[in-house]
Amino acid sequence: MRRVVVVGGSIAAVTAASWLRVRGFDGTITLLSAEKEQPYTRVPLSKTVLSGEATDASTALPPLDDSVVVRLGTRAVSLDTTARRVNVDNGDPVPYDGLVIATGGRARRLSPPGMSGERVLRTLADCVALREDLTRARTVLVVGAGLLGMEIASTCRTLGLEVTVVDREPPLRRVLGPVLAEVVTDAARKHGVSLRTVPGGVRLVGSRTLEGVDADGELLTADVVVSAVGDVPAVDWLTGSGLCLDRGVVTDSRGRVADHIVAAGDAAVVRGSGRRPHWTNAVEQARVAADALLGEDTSGASLPSYFWTNQFGVEVKVAGEPAGLGEPDQAEAAAGSMLLRWSGGAAATVNHTMPVRKLRQLASAP
Amino acid sequence: MTVSIELIPGRCEGHGVCEAIAPEVFQVDDDGMVHLLPGGDHEDATALAAARSCPVAALRATS
Repeated sequence: MRRVVVVGGSIAAVTAASWLRVRGFDGTITLLSAEKEQPYTRVPLSKTVLSGEATDASTALPPLDDSVVVRLGTRAVSLDTTARRVNVDNGDPVPYDGLVIATGGRARRLSPPGMSGERVLRTLADCVALREDLTRARTVLVVGAGLLGMEIASTCRTLGLEVTVVDREPPLRRVLGPVLAEVVTDAARKHGVSLRTVPGGVRLVGSRTLEGVDADGELLTADVVVSAVGDVPAVDWLTGSGLCLDRGVVTDSRGRVADHIVAAGDAAVVRGSGRRPHWTNAVEQARVAADALLGEDTSGASLPSYFWTNQFGVEVKVAGEPAGLGEPDQAEAAAGSMLLRWSGGAAATVNHTMPVRKLRQLASAP
Repeated sequence: MTVSIELIPGRCEGHGVCEAIAPEVFQVDDDGMVHLLPGGDHEDATALAAARSCPVAALRATS
């Protein structure tokens, strides 16, 4: 294997390219990213970059070393696994001996094609556009009360905007479970956010321009409407490639998709365990997938997954998946801070200082 | 060419992704913040991979 092509500009793509070098791969590595910016972190986009407190440039990740060819503004449009070539929108097909699929996801939208006015937040460009709209707004309606939607709501409150969040389920419950969700929801209420639960779901109303959101018969309107309703794996370009697609591209536990092809991050769906669209997971999957491409198996027992959120003055760090585990077995609370543990394999802190390494060990301890 | 990895002040949130990759260079202490260990090899590919993995871009690699 002399030529590896990494498709995507995501953290999974950057990590895979880095990790191939760590493992001593000295052939060519070409990274194809559809975005025009050097690879960056999306994590601050809902927080300090949206508020304007941090610059767009501050999101840049340390650059890959010079031996990696980074082609920005280059979108993969299809894959030929027989000829082993990636077809792109701005030049000749890119040949590979080994391929890493790390195209991430794109924001899911609720408006029909042709309707303008619905904002989403996934890319830096999305963030810039939303931030621009917010400077002229007094009211904001956030559709989706998951981690992203609630972080956007929090940032909008710090900007002094009037914020309503609407979802068919109570905020954050599906991802944090009832106990943690309530802690954060309580903080959101105290920060003056109007939270609306609409079990029947919502529908965007308008023809060419978005006019409002139909919430079970009531029309909600705002200066800015932003949807935070999950992401869709960006695997359209693999249609017709013969690879197994099931929402994302299907991999085994080592990230293997087919001979000489691996995938990692938000574009990947692991057979039997699905998709975990979090930063830490993308990094860990990318390392294992890069190893698999080089013929090594490093998929052994790993620590429980880890994710976090910062909103309304509350920092929550979570190891494992507490949603579905109900009440924690163990809870310690001090002034404004909590440490929670579920015997089903999860632990979490709320405004509590503890190395994440220890939190993850605590989650997996018997 | 000498590479040096630095912590950008005020950015670390203690997610420990760098430490999980390169514990010989990065360590998260009980204060929840990452510290660069003395004597760590900043030019090592693993350390650089770890620096690129920070979710809040708190690490800078300069040469």
